[in-house]
Amino acid sequence: MSEVFSRLSSRAIALSLGALLLVAACGGGSSNNSSSGNATSVTQWVAWGGAELQAYRDVLKPFTASTGITVHITTNRDSTNQIANGIISGTDLPDLAPSTTDPIQLKDWVTKGALKPLESFLDMSAYTSGTYPALTTAPGGAADDPYIGIIGGKHYMLMIKTQVKGLIWYNKKVFTGTAPTTFDQLLAINPSQYGAQKLFCAGFESGTASGWPASDQIDNIIMRQNDAAFYTSWIQGKVKFTDPQIKLGYQTFLKEVSAANVYGGSNTALTTNFGKAGDPMFKTPAGCLFLEQATFISAFFTQDFPGTKAGTDFDFFGHPSMGSAANDGNLNGFYDNVAMYNDTPAARKLMQYLATAPAQQIWANDGGTLGAIKTLTYTDPVFKRAAEVANTAKNLLVTAGDFMPSDMQAAFWKSLLDVTKDPSSLNAVLAHLDQVQAAAYKAS
Amino acid sequence: MDQIITAIGAIVLVPLVLLGYILLGERVIERLPERIQEWFRPYFWALPAIGFATIFMVYPLLRTVVISFRNNADTTWVGFDNYVYFFTFPSTLTSLRNSLLWLVFYTFFAVGLGLIIAIMVDRVRYESLAKIAIFLPVPISAVAASIIWKFMFDYQAPGTTQTGTLNALLGVVGHEPVAWLVNSTTNNAALIFVGIWSATGFAMVIISASLKAISSEVLEAARIDGANEFRIVQLIVTPLLWPTITVIGTTMIINALKTFDIVYVLTAGAYDTDVIATQMFSQLAHAHFSRAAAVGVVLFAAIVPLLVVNIRRFQQQEEQR
Repeated sequence: MSEVFSRLSSRAIALSLGALLLVAACGGGSSNNSSSGNATSVTQWVAWGGAELQAYRDVLKPFTASTGITVHITTNRDSTNQIANGIISGTDLPDLAPSTTDPIQLKDWVTKGALKPLESFLDMSAYTSGTYPALTTAPGGAADDPYIGIIGGKHYMLMIKTQVKGLIWYNKKVFTGTAPTTFDQLLAINPSQYGAQKLFCAGFESGTASGWPASDQIDNIIMRQNDAAFYTSWIQGKVKFTDPQIKLGYQTFLKEVSAANVYGGSNTALTTNFGKAGDPMFKTPAGCLFLEQATFISAFFTQDFPGTKAGTDFDFFGHPSMGSAANDGNLNGFYDNVAMYNDTPAARKLMQYLATAPAQQIWANDGGTLGAIKTLTYTDPVFKRAAEVANTAKNLLVTAGDFMPSDMQAAFWKSLLDVTKDPSSLNAVLAHLDQVQAAAYKAS
Repeated sequence: MDQIITAIGAIVLVPLVLLGYILLGERVIERLPERIQEWFRPYFWALPAIGFATIFMVYPLLRTVVISFRNNADTTWVGFDNYVYFFTFPSTLTSLRNSLLWLVFYTFFAVGLGLIIAIMVDRVRYESLAKIAIFLPVPISAVAASIIWKFMFDYQAPGTTQTGTLNALLGVVGHEPVAWLVNSTTNNAALIFVGIWSATGFAMVIISASLKAISSEVLEAARIDGANEFRIVQLIVTPLLWPTITVIGTTMIINALKTFDIVYVLTAGAYDTDVIATQMFSQLAHAHFSRAAAVGVVLFAAIVPLLVVNIRRFQQQEEQR
C-alpha cells in the first residue's frame, strides 16, 4: 500500500511539475506583449541623460497631468541598432524612439511599415509652417529627403529640438575686437594682441566617438567652400575623399589645428575632451581666443566656471565666410527627433503634444537647447541669437559623419585625428578613406 | 514586480523542471531491462547539459562559421570574401599586428615577471605582504584598471600643471609631457603595460603555489651537492615548474588574443591601437555581421590549438597526482 502511495505521489509530483512548466511557458509569452496597445501608457526610448532627461521629464509633466497617460522613458543610446534588430527579429519595439539617421535604413524601415508617418495623426500644415523650414521641408520640394526623415513625401521624424553648429565662441573679457567676417580675417587675428597664447582651442577626445568635434569643424569648412549640393553628394558617397575640394577642406582644417594656431599643439587637441576644450579661454592669461563648437557648449562653460553668464562673459559669432557669398547661407545644425513605431492612441496623443509650442517652450525655458518651433522665446541671450541664426539660414545642412554609413563615419572621424597628429599623412589618409568609402556605400 | 516573478521563476522553476525530468525519466527507465538501463541512464542524465551546450554553444559556433561565408544580408554565399577583407584591409591588418604584439609582450612579461617575483618572494620574510601588493591589481575589473591608467597617462598642454602621474614625474625631471596614448611609439606599449600590470599577480600566485609543491628535500640535496641558488633555479626549480608555466603561458596567450576592455576604454582603437577583438566589435557595431563573424572565426581558430595544449597539460598534471 505504502509503495503504491509513494509511486502515486512521485507521479503526481512529475505531472504537476509538467503542468507548472506549461503555465510558466504561457505566462512568459503573454506578459511580454501586454505593454503595447495600451491606452494609458507609452513606452519611449530617448538618447538623453542628465539635465536633458530632466528637462524632458519637465516637458512631460503637464501632459501626464492632463491626460493621465504615463510615459515609461528608457535612456538608450544604442536604440538604432536595437530597433534594427527588433525589426528583423519581429520583437517588441518601443512605442516612440528616435528614428534612424541612416538614409538606407530609414527607407527600409518605412518600406517594412515599422515607422508610422506623422501625416496619419498630425496637422501637417500647422507643423510645417511653425517649425524651422530647414527641418521639415526638402530643398526644392523633393519627395525624398532622408536626412530630415522625409520619404515618399511623408514625414517620419517629429522634430522637437535643434542645435546650431559651427559657432565661434570667445571670452568677452579677452577678445574685445570686432567679429571677423571672412575666414582669412579670422586667421589673421594676432592672439597676443589680446594677451592670449594661441588663436584656437580644440578638444577632439570623446571616448569611442573621438574625432567628432574635428568633423564638425571640417564640415563647416566644406559646406562653405562648396555649395549645398556638393556637400550632400559627399555625404552620399558620390564625391571621393581624394577630390581636390575635400582635400582643400582638410588643408583648411589643418590650419586651425596647426602647431602655430592651436593651444598646446596637436597633442593637446587630441587628448582634451570636447567639454573641456574651451577652458583655457577663461584662464589668465588666456590660452586661446576662440573655440568652435555648437550651441550646447555654453552649458559646459557655465558648469566649469560658475558665475560666468552667457552673453555677458562669453559670446559667439557665426562661422566666417569662406569667400563665397552664395554658400554663406549654409548652416550646420542637428536636431532631435521622435518617431513612432507603435501606433497607439496614447502614443499619438504624446506626439501631438510634443509638436505644440507650449510643450517645447518648457524645454526652451530649461535652457541648453533650441526648440524646433520658430516662435519660442528664449531668456538666454545666446539661444535668442542662435534662434535668429537658425531662422535666417538658407539651408540647414546636417553633420556629415552622422549621415554616412557608420564605418565611413568612424573612419572619417579617425582620419581627422590622424591628420591632426601627423599633417604629412594627409594624402595616405585620404586614399585610405576612398578605400573605406568604396566598401561602405556598397549595399550589402 | 514582473522582474521579481521572473527571477523567482527562473531560480525555482528551472531546478524543479530538471528534477521533474529526472523523476519522470526514472519511472520510464526503471521498466527497461537491467542492461539497457545501465547503458541508457548516463546519456539520459547528461542530455539536458548536452542539449544546453548544443543550443547555446555548438549551434552559435557553427552558425558563426556559416555566416562568415555569407554576405551581410545572409542571402548568398560569398566564399572567402570576408576573410580576404580581414587579411588585406589596412586597418584590420593593423589590428592583427597589434594582437601579435600583445601576444608576444603581454605573455612574455606577465609570465616572466610572475615567475621571477614568485621565486624571489619565496625567499623573503614578508612574502605574503609582497604577494598581496603584486596581486592587488588582479581583482580590479579591467575597465576600472583602464580608467585608473587613463589618469596615470593623462596629458595636459605643455607648460601647464600635469594632472597625469607619469607626465607629472617627467615634469619633475624637466622633460616635456608625453601624449602616451596618442604617440605611436608609446601607445601600444602603454596599453600592453596595463595588461601586464593587471595579469602579473595572477601568474605569480599560480607559479608560487606550484613552487611550494617542490619538495624542500630536493632543494636541500642540491645545496648539499654545492649548487648555488642560480643553478638551483636553472636546473631544478624551472624544469619542475615547466608544466605550470606552460599552462599559465597558454592562458595568457588566450587572454592576449581576447584583449578588448583595456584597448576599448583607453583609446577605443584610435591611433593604430586596434586589436582583433575591438576590430570584431567595431565590425558588429557597423552592422557588418558577416565580417565580424569572419574575425570571430579567425580568433577562435587561433585560440583552439592553445586550448588543446592547455587541456592536455591539465590532464597530464592530474595523472601525475
